[in-house]
Amino acid sequence: MAGTADLSERGTADTASAPEDDGALAARTRGLRKTYGRTTAVADVDLDVPRGAVLGVLGPNGSGKTTTIRMLLGLTQPTSGSAELLGHAMPEHAGRALPRVGALVEGPGFHPFLSGRENLLRCAAVEPELAGAARRGAVEEALERVGLTGAARRGYRGYSLGMKQRLGLAAALLTPRDLVVLDEPTNGLDPAGTREIRRIIADLHAAGTTVLLSSHLLAEVEATCTHVAVLQRGSLLTQGELTSLLESGGTSLSVSVSDNSAGMAALRDNGITTRQEGENLRVELTDVEAPDVIATLVRAGVGVHEARRGRAGLEDIFARLTEEES
Amino acid sequence: MTTTPAEAERASSPPHRSAAPLVRVLSAELRWVLRRPRNLLALLLVAALPVLIGTAIVLGGSPPPGHGPPVLSSVAGNGLMLPVATLVLAQNLLLPLIAAMVAADALAGESSHGTLRGLLLAPVGRVRLVWVKAFGVLAMTVLAVAVIVVSGTITGLVAFGGDGLVTLSGTTLPLGEALGRVALAAGWSAIQMLAVGAVALAISSTTEHPLVVLAVILGSLIVFGVLGAIPALEWLQPVLITTGWSSVVDVLRDPILAENLLTGLWRAGCYVLIGISATIARMTTRDI
Amino acid sequence: MRRNSVAATAIAGATAGVLGLTALTLPAGAEDPDLPAIAPEKLVASVMTAQPPAMAGTVRVNNNLGIPAIPSTESSGELLSNGSSTVRLWADGQGRHRISLPSEGGGTTVVDDGTTVWKWNASERTVTKYRAEARQESAGQEGSASSPHEEPEDPVATAQRMIDTLRQSSRISVDGTAGVAGRDAYELVLTPKPTERTVLREVRIAVGAEKRLPLRVVVSTENSEDPALRVGFSKLETAPQDAELFRFSPPAGAQVQQADKHDRRDTESGTHPQVRTVGEGWDSVLVTRVPQQTLQGRESGQDSEERLPGLREAAEQAGQRVSGPWGEGWFISTGAGSALLTSDGRLAAGAVPQPVLTEALRGR
Repeated sequence: MAGTADLSERGTADTASAPEDDGALAARTRGLRKTYGRTTAVADVDLDVPRGAVLGVLGPNGSGKTTTIRMLLGLTQPTSGSAELLGHAMPEHAGRALPRVGALVEGPGFHPFLSGRENLLRCAAVEPELAGAARRGAVEEALERVGLTGAARRGYRGYSLGMKQRLGLAAALLTPRDLVVLDEPTNGLDPAGTREIRRIIADLHAAGTTVLLSSHLLAEVEATCTHVAVLQRGSLLTQGELTSLLESGGTSLSVSVSDNSAGMAALRDNGITTRQEGENLRVELTDVEAPDVIATLVRAGVGVHEARRGRAGLEDIFARLTEEES
Repeated sequence: MTTTPAEAERASSPPHRSAAPLVRVLSAELRWVLRRPRNLLALLLVAALPVLIGTAIVLGGSPPPGHGPPVLSSVAGNGLMLPVATLVLAQNLLLPLIAAMVAADALAGESSHGTLRGLLLAPVGRVRLVWVKAFGVLAMTVLAVAVIVVSGTITGLVAFGGDGLVTLSGTTLPLGEALGRVALAAGWSAIQMLAVGAVALAISSTTEHPLVVLAVILGSLIVFGVLGAIPALEWLQPVLITTGWSSVVDVLRDPILAENLLTGLWRAGCYVLIGISATIARMTTRDI
Repeated sequence: MRRNSVAATAIAGATAGVLGLTALTLPAGAEDPDLPAIAPEKLVASVMTAQPPAMAGTVRVNNNLGIPAIPSTESSGELLSNGSSTVRLWADGQGRHRISLPSEGGGTTVVDDGTTVWKWNASERTVTKYRAEARQESAGQEGSASSPHEEPEDPVATAQRMIDTLRQSSRISVDGTAGVAGRDAYELVLTPKPTERTVLREVRIAVGAEKRLPLRVVVSTENSEDPALRVGFSKLETAPQDAELFRFSPPAGAQVQQADKHDRRDTESGTHPQVRTVGEGWDSVLVTRVPQQTLQGRESGQDSEERLPGLREAAEQAGQRVSGPWGEGWFISTGAGSALLTSDGRLAAGAVPQPVLTEALRGR
């Protein structure tokens, strides 16, 4: 994890300080580990979710995102390590933390023989913070919020994938929450549905609710999150604010040349790493300056049509992080 | 657990509950059990059973003694025998399967639909969840037995009449006491079926496939029946859950032959204890 | 930690349940009580003089005699066949009794209200009524030990005579004590003398120390550790009983039969043909001739088309074919005795090995 040393250090510095800093975290894990037999699903993860943040846990399928979230919510017993949710140790004090937490984990779970509204009413009945009289209103409000009012009377059996996902979101938002945990929230949603979810997350963020979401879609995280944590094969590669992560990624140069293979060969001969990205060549400007790159190309007789400086996208950082790791 | 002052303050500042009122959770569970189409179908089936048997006896007469299920031969002209006779019949397969089915849906079914997660995240405490689910199984089982007995009593009185009950000892009980005996039989039978339900619940807590629960219970009933018939395994008999179910007819003797009924209650109690304990042990450690 | 305490409680609960189930398999053990020593004669005499008290009890019959299943619709068949069964007894201490043989889903109840004996068969829904005379006759037929005609004799003398008779073939002793149905009891033991040719090892009778009521009889054989027959109270309460128990009125819709009719049916089917005893003591053998109908089988019941299998058929199945100077037939050995049925219908039975049976047949 050499490349992320600066970020990790910052992370530990945050949490190692005075106890009042604990209050700034909506969730945190320390040395969280889960093994199934000889396979390690989550390896010593120290995750911090600052209050008010929208934190995206990024990682390919099978990287331990869902397992981490399940341990955080007390659904799964960690092999070792600890998890805290809204300042309460999990799973010991689940009763104190969970009423203020809404969650959609591993897809929506409802009964096919009940309608959408009846399913939500059943969820509302077990919500500790909903007073008896307020239940019906809360259900209608949640249905409205996810745009399911029209389909509320239909059986869950007949719902499309997107409607099911939205009903799951409605259940997570039945009462005002301090923390909303969404595991792959846009799964199965069409572009309009995805936009709708993004709007809901933005609303939650605006209202001061902490959101923890997991995704394997970089674009989704980039578009919605303020913070990001990257998981790879159960290990936390990096975490921090999205902006500082992007800054750390540095800038790159995108060059449009007459002959891509000749250009790549020329750059490689001069010790400049490059890769092809679409029609262009892309050079990370970490230990080389832009004019040097162009000069090298010109010297080799490769025609330069256009050169543009750009900031590294999340995708580049993610690719770099995961490559380094493997 | 030591709590820092800050933590204690946060925990108490929004004065919120950590669990929904129990009555509300139980009534939601009950509504959920009774809304399920297959449960309603099962209730309909057990309601129809005494009517079918009664009709068959009216049309074809009682089976001769030694043929068909016991007690059935004494139904004709003795209407209040019908509910108990039906109970004896239903106890063999139908009622245990209903108990197992509800128990299967209670944990394995919820788990397979992903709704168990929802309940735990609400949150419903894990131990409390077991009690809520056990209540659902209890409600449905008791209801099924009650439906059989009520339907059987009405059918029996309408089809065969009789203003009392001729006991197996040859005495005649007045209607009130006779109804008391039928209720006693129902209560005893319900407790036996609860033992099945509790064991089914324990199995249900270990799997995500409701059918596994049904298969295990059905298989055990058959295996127990076979084991109970092997003389060399006679020592095993007092332990088998199915042993002595037929002694429910002992309430129809005068005076009641209490010995086997009490042993049966003890046995069922042990199974309920084992079933619920195993379910709690499993549910508090299970990853969901 | 809370989770640990929950787990501990759950494990404790499951363990308690398993222990509870295990308790069901264990026989109710009772310490052998300390009782003052008593001579066998005095014990037997006190049993003879004891007044039968008012009581309610349950008797467990554990039958390991190895008698093949007897085809019968009545509960008494269950008593004779291998296995365990229950008999419920009530007595008011004044000659009124109620006996109930529960069977799965039915059973037989006999009520003796002092003047009439009623027999109720729950599965057939029939009542059989014995008039007082029929009742005595029936009692005589059943071969019950005390015949009412000899009643006014000194019980002590009777006891002494009985003991003398028994002493010719047996050793009688009081061997320790036992707890039966929560009561202290003496164990009266009869052992055959070595000269007796019998398969029986001993007969052990537990006599209640307080009421001098026989509480349990255990018959053991040479062949087996387990007793061949064990009849004993599992529950016994000596207290005045509800008078209602000793009354019987046939319920509405029940078929009532008179006893004489019942008796005729019995003689017709030949369950009580002439029986001779050969030999004395433990090796006495009963010899009789089986009526053709019983031998070959007959139609059972009045309206049933089913055939009860004949004795010969049963013997062919269960027995072993043997022949000798006495003829040929089938030898059936059970836990506590043996029987020999010849092809011409002679039957010899006793708690003896095979040679004693053939001797008895030859002697005829």
